Amino acid sequence: MDTESRKQALRHFFGNVVGPMGFKFTPDADLAEFLLEQEVKLEAQHGIPFCPCQPIRRDRSRDMRIVCPCIPFHREHFDAMKRCWCGLFVHLDVTDPDSLPQVAAKEIGIE
Amino acid sequence: MSDQFVQAIRAAEVFPGGMKAVELEGRELVICNCGGSFYAIDRRCGHMNAPLEMGTLDGPIVTCPMHCAQFDVTTGEALSGPVPPYLGNEIPPPRMGAMLKNVGTLMQHVRTESIATHKAKVESDWVWVAL
Repeated sequence: MDTESRKQALRHFFGNVVGPMGFKFTPDADLAEFLLEQEVKLEAQHGIPFCPCQPIRRDRSRDMRIVCPCIPFHREHFDAMKRCWCGLFVHLDVTDPDSLPQVAAKEIGIE
Repeated sequence: MSDQFVQAIRAAEVFPGGMKAVELEGRELVICNCGGSFYAIDRRCGHMNAPLEMGTLDGPIVTCPMHCAQFDVTTGEALSGPVPPYLGNEIPPPRMGAMLKNVGTLMQHVRTESIATHKAKVESDWVWVAL
């Protein structure tokens, strides 16, 4: 199995899911490619494409909250940032993803 | 592969996003309708031979109903291997645990191979497949 093919498959599946939620892939193509590649590696290791930017805790109920795309589990937080935690997905209206800082949920009064 | 086309099914039998198993000259195939374009693939999963038409077709990607291995129906390429089952934190009874361990050991040696594809075309409302 080829990493590039799997990346394209994840792109296909994720695109179908995040669009109706008001998100899209980041316009930063290099970042998207890098993050998808990490997810392919995580999927090869664990069988699940976990978020590459959050820790796997070996606690299923918590780990299921970081399966990409994890937007539904962190909706309020990601909507406030207009991006997901990694930056793989951004709000549909975002054209300059570099302008969106990664802010912890606690810092914006969530959780 | 030769370009000897064989009449398979009526195109109207498979809606976009659908699949149908057929047997043509002794070969088990699945006809896939990807948004109006037809593709023909071998019926058996490249992992453990499950019938792929019982899985799901999302765009050009078919997911096996047995262990969720995925394949690109346009090329036959294996896109992912099986998804490991989640057994939870519950410890299985000893005999079942031993069996699962044995199966797990064997499964580690089962490779997911790409599957064969066949040229398909629509002519006179029928799907034709090259065997």
